[in-house]
Amino acid sequence: MGDAPLLEIKGLGKRFPGRLGREPSPWVIQDLSFSVRAGEFLTIIGPSGAGKSTLLNMIAQIDTVSAGEIVFNGETVKSHDARTLRPGFDRRIGYVTQDDNLLPWRTTVENVLFPIEVQGRLNDATRAHADTLIRAVGLAGFERYYPHELSGGMRKRAALIRTLAYDPPVILMDEPFAAVDAQTRTQLQADLLKLWDIGRKTIIFVTHDIAEAIALGDRALVLSRQPTRIAAEHAIPIPRPRNVQDMLAVDGFAVIYQRIRAAIQ
Amino acid sequence: MNRWRTFFDRLIVLIVILAAWQVGSFLVGAYFFPSPGAVALRFVAQVWNGELIRHGGYTIEEALIGTLVGGVPAVLLPFLLRRQPLLVAILDPFMVGGYGAPKLAFAPLFILWFGIGIESKIALVASVVFFIVYFNTLSGVRALDPKLVQMAQLAGAGERHVARHIVLPAAVPHILAGFRIAVPYAIGGAIIAELISSNRGLGYLVQTGAMNFDTTSVFAAILMATLIVLAANWLLNTAERMLLHWRPPADAMLDPGN
Repeated sequence: MGDAPLLEIKGLGKRFPGRLGREPSPWVIQDLSFSVRAGEFLTIIGPSGAGKSTLLNMIAQIDTVSAGEIVFNGETVKSHDARTLRPGFDRRIGYVTQDDNLLPWRTTVENVLFPIEVQGRLNDATRAHADTLIRAVGLAGFERYYPHELSGGMRKRAALIRTLAYDPPVILMDEPFAAVDAQTRTQLQADLLKLWDIGRKTIIFVTHDIAEAIALGDRALVLSRQPTRIAAEHAIPIPRPRNVQDMLAVDGFAVIYQRIRAAIQ
Repeated sequence: MNRWRTFFDRLIVLIVILAAWQVGSFLVGAYFFPSPGAVALRFVAQVWNGELIRHGGYTIEEALIGTLVGGVPAVLLPFLLRRQPLLVAILDPFMVGGYGAPKLAFAPLFILWFGIGIESKIALVASVVFFIVYFNTLSGVRALDPKLVQMAQLAGAGERHVARHIVLPAAVPHILAGFRIAVPYAIGGAIIAELISSNRGLGYLVQTGAMNFDTTSVFAAILMATLIVLAANWLLNTAERMLLHWRPPADAMLDPGN
């Protein structure tokens, strides 16, 4: 693997095209650069409305960039024109969105297997892998339940392992745990760290919760308000495996928290 | 318990309707407005001698073929046009016009064009069913959550996968609703076409009954048509339960269990 970045964001900018007879919007994101190493867990903290989702949408190639470029594994992505966008970059970039987007007509296991099914990779090994993930996040026994029969936390877990199950090298996460209660969130964070320890994927995790960013990440980027730029960068030298429940008691947590808090002001 | 309660309440409503019918028949005169008992007897007799079965079957055949001829393209078209919003917009006023035009008024034309056989009835039924199912399917395709499509594309789904696994299942409730609305119109359309010119079908029975001042036979044929619509509705309900078992339990208002 080495230290060569897997994903490089260079001078990225975004403004939305103007409607008939109007100027394009002001820059939402401007001159934003960072890179991610393979196997790194990067967290990005930003206030609401800081263009966090827009940033991830551009990396996932479901939205165009207005300036700058995205380089994936040495390959420059053609992302200035909507017609050349390749959502998910040929299954190399997974995306866990804020909404779970489970298909209501599919059961839990059918939802988890959906990407594998459309990729034509459904076999005993992939089924067994999905089964392992279902058990790892405590959804065993709910395989044949429909989304409307699951709790919010269970739906989040199903959406999370749906992306993990097809094993994309990079996974983007857009505040995936924002809509659940604090207790469930801690459990989901613990589940995520456990799964990440098994697979060591490259993860870009966006959140507005400083504690969450520290608990999960190897490194945290802090975004400024619009136009969004990188305001600060913090390494998080807390050893792994980490216990999410006891994060507050960990040496150095308070110091990092204070520094990030100050950077956001 | 509640299920039985609903059943008995419905029975009471039925008895009230029959009683009102009986009173009406008494006041107007059984010659013009036969009593429910007389209609029931005639109905049983005509079922027994096969007359209502034969003519009812003929009407069902027309309605069924017409529903397929009109309904299948009406379901396919919105899927084919899903990625062509401009074409949908161009077609829209013509579709609305076709939906709004009184198709029953076309019945004499269809008979001129297609003859007095089954073809003219199929044409009328198909023209009625097509627009109803088209607009329902279109609304289903349009009501699709674009985030689900995006999720599928991110996961590597191509156009065909999206159509098969996302758009179709999301549209099925709307398609079924379209057919549910269309069924009474299909039976009604077939009967109207038979009334105008035919030698078979329930419409023919109504026509000959009326010509012979045999109002009891007219009512018996109408009763048969009503029962056919109810049976078709029951079939659609069963299909819906089987196809849409993934949905959260339906509206409490429609659920007699509540």
